[in-house]
Amino acid sequence: MRIAAIWSVVLTALLLGPALGPGFVLTYDMVWVPDLRVGLDAWGLGSALPRAVPSDAVVGILDEVVPGAWLQTGVLAGTLVGGGLGAARLVAGLSTAARLAAVTVWIWNPFVVERLVMGHWPVLVGYAVLPWLAAAAMRWARGGPGARSGALGLAALLPIGSLSASAGLASAVVVLAFGLRRSWRRDPVLLVLLVAANLPWVVSGLAHRATATSAAEGFELFALAGEGGLPPPLTALGLGGVWNSEVLPDSREGLLVWVALVALVALAALGSRSWWRATDARIRTAYLVGWGFGWGIAVLTWLAPGALGSLAAAVPGVGLLRDGSRLLGLCALLVVVLVAHGVERIVRSDLDRVPRLVLAAGLVVHPIAVLPDAAWGVAGRLAPVSYPAEYAHLRAAVGDAEGAHVVLLPFSAFRAPAWNGGRTVLDPLARYLRPDAVTNDELVVSGRTLAGEDPRAAAVARALQAPTAEARSRELAALGIGFVVVDRTAPGPAPDLAGRPIFAGPTTSALALPGPVADPPRGAWRPGVVTAWAAFGATLLGGLLGGPVVALTRRLRERPR
Amino acid sequence: MTNSILAAIAALVVGGGIAGATVFGLVSSQTSAPSESPGDAAKPVIQYGSRG
Repeated sequence: MRIAAIWSVVLTALLLGPALGPGFVLTYDMVWVPDLRVGLDAWGLGSALPRAVPSDAVVGILDEVVPGAWLQTGVLAGTLVGGGLGAARLVAGLSTAARLAAVTVWIWNPFVVERLVMGHWPVLVGYAVLPWLAAAAMRWARGGPGARSGALGLAALLPIGSLSASAGLASAVVVLAFGLRRSWRRDPVLLVLLVAANLPWVVSGLAHRATATSAAEGFELFALAGEGGLPPPLTALGLGGVWNSEVLPDSREGLLVWVALVALVALAALGSRSWWRATDARIRTAYLVGWGFGWGIAVLTWLAPGALGSLAAAVPGVGLLRDGSRLLGLCALLVVVLVAHGVERIVRSDLDRVPRLVLAAGLVVHPIAVLPDAAWGVAGRLAPVSYPAEYAHLRAAVGDAEGAHVVLLPFSAFRAPAWNGGRTVLDPLARYLRPDAVTNDELVVSGRTLAGEDPRAAAVARALQAPTAEARSRELAALGIGFVVVDRTAPGPAPDLAGRPIFAGPTTSALALPGPVADPPRGAWRPGVVTAWAAFGATLLGGLLGGPVVALTRRLRERPR
Repeated sequence: MTNSILAAIAALVVGGGIAGATVFGLVSSQTSAPSESPGDAAKPVIQYGSRG
């Protein structure tokens, strides 16, 4: 496995490039800050849907120990290296060339690149965990001496693989597909671990069930998309199909998309027979279930966005399926094992050593040849930046907002600051500042505005439309807003407000609203949310510490008296 | 004999070709002009994205 590890590190360094340097990578939904405070939103007790539960809380706790920038670098790099190694383990019995090809396909594919630029790092962490989860679930299901390590592995990996709702869903599919054996003794353990690992976002989602429905039209905009002229279902076969054309590397918009698909399908087809023969029927079924779920959901969002949208508008939770290609990571499990078997078949032929080595090298690197502009931080799109110096002063001036919440103006979700190279990112101030911020959760896609779900954000938007500055400040204060921060570089209106200026920097300013400021809401279902976090933490700690504790106990028992 | 020579040549051509294309692609993708950033601060509102 050493050469697979080295290859994983090389590919990760080549793919992330500048992102491994000092600073923060800020792109679309990915916002990391020096010190993320764990507020009500991070615990899932805010008024907005728990989209960053449990990821924000986990980051907020870890960055008390490791600086935020280092943590982000470690998470991004660890995700790719760990996932690559997991892919190599899935085909551990095959030749070096086949294992290295599995690593390349796992790390260097459109799904990883598109989700990286979209900033969906919890999805990628979940993706990295999938092969390890599959292996642990298989150990548990087989029983025998490996069962205990399988269960501990699941306990440690499931919370890590469930840092967002969609990542948790993908992890659950893999664990159930590879681990369920219709055994009354084993299956309940799987289900308990699955529930515990996903409880924080599930409970918080239930607490928000009244608003947890999604705008029906969003499904059309976020459905699986074709790339480079390929129809969406074929694009999904090649692990691509993100809805947002802005994040596509140039190579995904031309002929190389077709070449990539032909190469992938040819290798997979070549390897299918030997994989079929070499793999136990139950394991084959598990791979096929994972692939079918990922591809099926993606294609369904393209085939029937209207029906899914109507369902999501009525049934809380269906909105999880809105981003059509987000679950395509599930397909990668089957894809890498088939491609690895295909490469194995070719390099095991009767060729002499030199031609065989050259051919093997070509097969191992072929995913890079068809997606070359993923290299070096997706051609610079993942370049790290430093926050403006004034942000630290702004944070100090705002402090904890005297227990109230903050509103950021202009009241829109995204920014494209010059100091971030003009790249689109969620307003970083919402996480940079210490208090919870009420942010606008309306999304503008292709010029169309999708309604948000947070009733408090809607109330803030209404308050900002009051006729006078005094009335606007009064209405905001009544909503529990104590401070307002204005980013003068961001496009959009920032209505005048009455209040006491507490900070004025080159690009930002802050205002304390006149009282009385109402107490902000403290969140519903607090006992349920606390219980959910306790279950999540206990599962994670049990998994991480269980192995060493068992080993230590055994050693103490075996020690001669 | 002829078949094995042809197979060896084909393997060298295919493997070498892919490896060469990989190096060429990596170099040219890093040396070509950067594509315009989709974010535009002059817009009235920053979009989450565009459907192609």
